[in-house]
Amino acid sequence: MAPAMDTILDMRDVIMGKDEAEAAVATKARKVDRDQRTTVGVPFVEEPRMICREVNVFYGDKHAINNVSIDVGKNEVLAMIGPSGCGKSTFLRCLNRMNDTVASCRVTGEILLDALNIYDKKVDVVPLRAQVGMVFQKPNPFPKSIFDNVAYGPKIHGLVNNKTELNDVVEDSLKKAGLWNEVSDRLDQPGTGLSGGQQQRLCIARAIAVRPEVILMDEPCSALDPIATATVEDLITELKEHYTIVIVTHNMQQAARVSQRTAYFHLGDLVEVGPTDRIFTNPRHQLTEDYITGRFG
Amino acid sequence: MQKFALSLATATMLIGAAATSMAADGRDYISVVGSSTVYPFSTAVAEQFGKATKFKTPKIESTGTGGGIKLFCSGSGVDTPDIANASRQIKKAEIETCAKNGVTEIVEVKVGYDGIVLANSKKSEQFKLSRKDLFMALAKEVPSPEGGDKLVANPYKTWKEVNDKLPAAKIEVLGPPPTSGTRDAFVEMVMDHGCTAFESIKALKSKDEKQFKAVCQTVREDGAFIEAGENDNLIVQKLEANPNSLGIFGFSFLDQNADKIQASSIDGQAPTFETIADGKYPVSRPLFIYVKKAHVGVIPGIAEYLAEFTSERAWSEEGYLAEKGLIPSPKNERKTIAADAKALNVIVNNKF
Amino acid sequence: MSENHQISTMDRVSVGLAARYRKERRFRLFGISAIVASLLFLALLLASITAKGYTAFRQTEVLLDVYLDPAVLDVHNLATANYAALVRDAALALFSQVESRQDKRIIGKLISTGAAYRLQDLVTSKPELIGSTRPIWVPADDEVDMFVKGHIPRDVPEAERRVSDKQASWIDQLVAADRLKLKFNTAFFQAGDSREPELAGIRGAAAGSMFTLAITLLLSFPVGVAAAVYLEEFAPKNRWTDLIEVNINNLAAIPSIVFGLLGLAVFLNFMNLPRSASLVGGLVLTLMTLPTIIIASRASLKSVPPSIREAALGVGASKMQTISHHILPLAMPGMMTGAIIGMARALGETAPLLMIGMVAFIVDVPNSFSDPATVLPVQIFLWADSPERAFVERTSAAIMILLLLLLAMNAAAVFLRNKFERRW
Repeated sequence: MAPAMDTILDMRDVIMGKDEAEAAVATKARKVDRDQRTTVGVPFVEEPRMICREVNVFYGDKHAINNVSIDVGKNEVLAMIGPSGCGKSTFLRCLNRMNDTVASCRVTGEILLDALNIYDKKVDVVPLRAQVGMVFQKPNPFPKSIFDNVAYGPKIHGLVNNKTELNDVVEDSLKKAGLWNEVSDRLDQPGTGLSGGQQQRLCIARAIAVRPEVILMDEPCSALDPIATATVEDLITELKEHYTIVIVTHNMQQAARVSQRTAYFHLGDLVEVGPTDRIFTNPRHQLTEDYITGRFG
Repeated sequence: MQKFALSLATATMLIGAAATSMAADGRDYISVVGSSTVYPFSTAVAEQFGKATKFKTPKIESTGTGGGIKLFCSGSGVDTPDIANASRQIKKAEIETCAKNGVTEIVEVKVGYDGIVLANSKKSEQFKLSRKDLFMALAKEVPSPEGGDKLVANPYKTWKEVNDKLPAAKIEVLGPPPTSGTRDAFVEMVMDHGCTAFESIKALKSKDEKQFKAVCQTVREDGAFIEAGENDNLIVQKLEANPNSLGIFGFSFLDQNADKIQASSIDGQAPTFETIADGKYPVSRPLFIYVKKAHVGVIPGIAEYLAEFTSERAWSEEGYLAEKGLIPSPKNERKTIAADAKALNVIVNNKF
Repeated sequence: MSENHQISTMDRVSVGLAARYRKERRFRLFGISAIVASLLFLALLLASITAKGYTAFRQTEVLLDVYLDPAVLDVHNLATANYAALVRDAALALFSQVESRQDKRIIGKLISTGAAYRLQDLVTSKPELIGSTRPIWVPADDEVDMFVKGHIPRDVPEAERRVSDKQASWIDQLVAADRLKLKFNTAFFQAGDSREPELAGIRGAAAGSMFTLAITLLLSFPVGVAAAVYLEEFAPKNRWTDLIEVNINNLAAIPSIVFGLLGLAVFLNFMNLPRSASLVGGLVLTLMTLPTIIIASRASLKSVPPSIREAALGVGASKMQTISHHILPLAMPGMMTGAIIGMARALGETAPLLMIGMVAFIVDVPNSFSDPATVLPVQIFLWADSPERAFVERTSAAIMILLLLLLAMNAAAVFLRNKFERRW
């Protein structure tokens, strides 16, 4: 686990909220050396929705995630950043067991959703994925109508009893995704006909239509232009009221804008976790500083 | 999508069910198999029979004589054919196989004759051949031209080398492959006879039959004899395109294409209706049909089909089979055969 | 120095450039000439078939004034009456000057034996006509037909053609009297096989092909798609599935006669299914088509983008739901294309059917899957081997019909692909 001193410092950050004072102290503190690979900062929170302990991921012989422990708090946005190939997406996909589709992938350790160990043999992935929704890097609406895209999840999970309820769920989800005003008059048109930003919001609407507890977002804005990105970012901020969101991003400004906590991954290690402000203003690990100052990435 | 999959699955099961239930069904039509030479005649009879009677039109498969008899002899159940067409007489071994499989009573009907002709395009000279000429031109090994009994690889390149009276054209003969009944008949009637013109080989016949057959029946493989496939029409077409070659095929094809091709005379006899019918033309063979007596009365219409085949309006000189190229048997012979067929007299096994 | 160096680089590039473009032009030239050559051969094939076959769509018919003699016909013997005699009398009536018995017989032979059946159909459907004289077009004999169409030449010596000078003059008389005409050949499309070319049709073979293909499609498509889905989506990737994959690819390349032998052993000898039935033909062709469909289906499953799969799984769809709701509909056009191409191949097969008795003379048009049947390519094969010259044009005509069917099927494949192919 993380060094005791740092833990205490960070606990104080969180609990006492004395960020400025601590930041001043921290700037002067010596950075943790580049070769040090234990997690710096406090990866745990008081009210966790998801708890990950000593998670390791292997692709065949390749050790992709190395002993990562982290919590995801209720109704917070946790951003995961890091250079390409650092394992942030792999880790994200462990949270709803999307890695199961990769034949050679093996996951050890514990990941708990509320009190349930999602890697327990008895756990069914279907209801799990209803609880932990996902939005992908490239907008991937089904080649069906806008309505059917959103209605698909509630239908297969039997969340609605009749057509009226279904209409309500679709309307509600599209409204939450901020898309309703743009598409309310053409719900029967193919979702693939929308613009990139609209498609991504449609995918978000599709994810929230099944009322998940956690939404995983894998670089949701990487295929979007700046205006569409801004819209999606606003949406994420709004969704935080109801959902727990874990977002993987390449874009450090985005992480700074939307998240409350940030985790920095490096070559399969969780190097540093902390409140987003602190990570960007006062990284404690040398690697984190190198990355956010653009020395590599 | 699920409905679609479901309906497909149902359809599949239905077919499966239909398949199993159908296996047990009987048959209400006659099944005929066998020789491709008899096929045109037997189909003509079948069609006439189907139209003139209340029975269904028989189904006729062209499998070749050997294949047909094999099927015919495979058992006595209704799933085996009722009649086998043959362009040669059934062999003793085949009768034995039949008997082993429970087919003991076989009715033999000789329906007429077929001539095998050698013909070439009208664009070139007509040939006057003898069987000796043909043996010398087509055998793989012939007695040395320098005299003596020694056999040498066939040295002849042109017809003139074989026989002074023949034209100086290159030897090139198109014929059917060994699987064909026509080829069997040609080899037996022309080559076997032709090689006995040489005393030394003739002597071999009584001494070593196997050796005799090998010498007489082996056709040369140096390009002078070209296997042109079973399709006689194809051979006729090739003759037109290549006036220098001769072709071997059934008489009915000569009859239909008399404007394009001419037949060579063999041993002084030109192949005509009359010369084949009275046996003067040397290369003719009888055609047979074999009937499974056990099926008469079980499969409807077999006796009536036989009656149609052996009726004067079918197999006489004036009949519709003659028009298709069948050479009728002489009148007296027809009478006896028709009577035998009516009485369903079976082949006596010790006849062979 | 540096300037010199730059110029020489540019020079070198442009020298190489010319060679590079030359290479490209040469390649294009090869491509174009390959395509032109194959198109030429195709055109040659089509032209020769059409030139030989188009005349078969018309048939020479003769107008006879048939007296429906009440002495021969009455309402009770309509099935067995001597219609042929009525036809012969009507034909003889056209040539009152002919006396000799021999000539009369030849005149009778100008008319097809099918005339009697046509007359029978007429009288059976309208018995009230008995006693009257009716003008009726009946088919002429195949040799008359060949003569009229010019396939039997007039300019060769009489002895060498099957139509004598006398017959030719009679035919000319009939033509002059407007009693002999080429009419649309309905028998060709409505009749089963026949030994008389003028009565032979492709309906029996077409029906046989239809039944056979129906069985093939109903069996090979669902089984093929199911196999492809299992192999592609569910089966673990190990040595066994590799072995199965290699075998399926091998099966697709096996000569079709082998499937015929297999069918003979399994369906006829072991399962005792009826010989010559389109059911067995369909089963054999199913075996032959399955690998093609499995391979095409797997390819089209593979081409569904993984993002769609992830999207469905991400919403919580089960594996089966993901496949049946999303993957299959998207892969379906590709699968259907594969199936149609497989079907088109099955439509043109003869060799495997030889072993199971579908190469046979069958007059009756099959009505069910268990009736003895033959198929179009087999019909072509049988006609091509018939001595009568009139079968030459019918063979070509049947080939034209088969080619049209194949063209229609391939067009359907293209149409389906364009219509249902989705963009993502």
